[in-house]
Amino acid sequence: MNVSERTPVAIVGAGLAGLTAATFLRRHRVPFILYESGPRVAGLAATVRDDDGFSYDFGAHLITNRLASALGIGAQCRTVTTYGEAVLLGGKMYGYPLGLMKIFRFLRDALVSRTMPAPVVDSAADWFRATYGKALADEVALPLVEAWSGAAAADLAASVGEKLKNSVWKTVQLKLAALRSGRAVACGYSHEMPESGDVWHVYPEGGIGLLCRRLAAEVEDGIRLESPVEAIEVDSDRVRAVKVGGVTQPVSAVVSTAPVNVLSKLVRGTDALEPLSRFKYRPMIFVNLQFDLPGLLPETFLWIPESGYPFFRLTEPTRSMPWLAPEGKSLVTADLGCDVGGELWRTSDEDLGTLCLSHVERIFPDVRGKYLGCRVLRTPIAYPVFLKEYEPVRRRFEISTGVDGLTSVGRNGEFAHLLMEDVYWRTLRKMRGLVASVPTLAAA
Amino acid sequence: MTHVRGLLKGELKTNMAAVQSGAPCREGSRPLSLVPVRCCICDLDDADPLAVGEDFEYRTSPDTFLAVRCRRCGLVYLNPRPDNRELDAIYPSDYHAYEFSEGRYGFVYKVRRWLESRRMLSCCKGLGDEARILDIGCGDGFHLDLLREFGNPKWQLEGIDPSERAVSAAARRGLTVHQGLVQTLSLPENHYDLAFMIATIEHVDDPPGVLDAVRRLLKPGGRVIVVTDNAASPDARLFGGRHWGGYHFPRHWNLFTAWTLRDLGRKAGLVVESLGNVASPVNWVYSIRNRLVDRRAPTWLIERFSLRTPVSLGVFTMIDTVLSWVGKGCLLRAVFRKP
Repeated sequence: MNVSERTPVAIVGAGLAGLTAATFLRRHRVPFILYESGPRVAGLAATVRDDDGFSYDFGAHLITNRLASALGIGAQCRTVTTYGEAVLLGGKMYGYPLGLMKIFRFLRDALVSRTMPAPVVDSAADWFRATYGKALADEVALPLVEAWSGAAAADLAASVGEKLKNSVWKTVQLKLAALRSGRAVACGYSHEMPESGDVWHVYPEGGIGLLCRRLAAEVEDGIRLESPVEAIEVDSDRVRAVKVGGVTQPVSAVVSTAPVNVLSKLVRGTDALEPLSRFKYRPMIFVNLQFDLPGLLPETFLWIPESGYPFFRLTEPTRSMPWLAPEGKSLVTADLGCDVGGELWRTSDEDLGTLCLSHVERIFPDVRGKYLGCRVLRTPIAYPVFLKEYEPVRRRFEISTGVDGLTSVGRNGEFAHLLMEDVYWRTLRKMRGLVASVPTLAAA
Repeated sequence: MTHVRGLLKGELKTNMAAVQSGAPCREGSRPLSLVPVRCCICDLDDADPLAVGEDFEYRTSPDTFLAVRCRRCGLVYLNPRPDNRELDAIYPSDYHAYEFSEGRYGFVYKVRRWLESRRMLSCCKGLGDEARILDIGCGDGFHLDLLREFGNPKWQLEGIDPSERAVSAAARRGLTVHQGLVQTLSLPENHYDLAFMIATIEHVDDPPGVLDAVRRLLKPGGRVIVVTDNAASPDARLFGGRHWGGYHFPRHWNLFTAWTLRDLGRKAGLVVESLGNVASPVNWVYSIRNRLVDRRAPTWLIERFSLRTPVSLGVFTMIDTVLSWVGKGCLLRAVFRKP
């Protein structure tokens, strides 16, 4: 049987994960149709550019030279040479993570936590206290996690911290490699593949959207834009078909990148995914403030665990990637957690800019005169909220969707806080599993 | 060449907008057309990333390259890799295999001739007066020339190389060299007693196809000697994250271990007669050189590690000789026999 005669795999969503899945299938000669509800590819991995020469991503994105090379876009990427994180605490800035150890109580509690027997960990609050020490957890980590998630740390699962683990020794090694090489060596960024001094951050010309454009070029003929999947038909716990535009298309498997609460509503013929319908994502507003300054923040990321600010993080992507703004200008992004339809969500772009500016001014006086304006991006699905009550279902879902032939990939599809490189390698891994588990695909 | 000096740390912090995309590259170079590939042994793309690098040695393009390791068989291969139409771009006119001459390499040339002639003749033991010997990927004819000088004068020696420049250089030596690919050239089948593929198999796009073509040209019982970089050697482990000379980014498309070389021979329908080690300083020297280049070391230091520096070559020849005694030398040598 040749490729065109075989029943295709349906891929739902043409973001980074969906396109990665499509290229994998293409390279393994597995027929597929990639359905994208929107008019263009890329999803959250798109870059917006304005007429004034500023570029914006949905949140700050960096990739590595490894991912760029895997996609064959290394020649179109610039090396990022500076990258760092700082924390605002009591009006002072501390480097993250090592600079915080200058504060005695943080160091003391961190050391104590290392010497104590491992406690029973029931929540994110427990996990952070056990891992970072009580003082650092209570004053820095937990306020940030709560602002990020929109939920109390005691209600969040310990797994929220799983991606933050990196040994002190490894961190020091990578930081030294960065100092020695003058490159922003990835540190705590990549969890699917090992980090080393040879893996550093790069950023594509014209924005992060290049990744998806590159992948899409390889599978263009398999993409159906403006074709939302209306239903995924399951029979006897096995995927059989998808419904698109009222037409039923038989499929051999489905790869979904849809948020899991959306996926559970798409699936018909089984209630295996019903518990996922309650899963929540944290909506986020990214207020991009433009300044007529070459730089503002001490590091690329400034975490703000103190209450009284509408944002928990400021990012100055132009500190690492100055080409995202015209020369001499900079871009500072404020991350505002919110609720869809809530007060912040309904606030006008201009007022959001004014609100953020007034708080940025508290940290950096005299910036008002350099303020040029703002551009606001909103997304209802920025981060998964790891509520404890989800954990049993989420753990099961991590292993399997519970439906034969249905795989869920990507940041929203996996309900996991995945960074771009992890999305890529994880999706490849999951696709290997899919092809191996569906006999008609493996025969390819 | 475009100077890497513009990438110094201090400058970057204040003038990031001037940073160019991609790897440093020579004047007039451009991004290559890159194509995704599969493991040539398993025919699958089921691999983990191993190393990211760039053309440290010739700076032929601004691309960066990914070496991956097949999760099934362990083959190391470049993915994506340059399209076959890019060969002229990645093998520039100053590429060393086109003219490894005494004039350019002096004392190193003489030592290498002596060493290589001994090695080659040891592979030719038992050949009769009428033996026909083929060197696939013969470059400028260096090895054929050794056989002509030190071997049996009655042997019929022929070479194959796709490069016009290499063939011209070999012709100037008075050697018979066919320009083209072994898979597509019309050479007589069941004709040759011995074939050499020295530092060739790692450059070709389809190693099983090439070996299969070589098998057809060999007489039954004929042998092919394959010498290639050892992807499991200590230098590969030490520098394998980026700077290993064996990667030779982006010209080495497939890199083998003893196991994967054995699998390759079997896939091509050949019998594995022996698998051993050959000492070579080249990957050691290039690995160190690549690291120094990448870390912007001073030129005087970088120049201590090249094919023209007898001291570093000599030191690492000794080191690698010891390693090869325990089966960990830089190069692998497989002897395959046509059944």
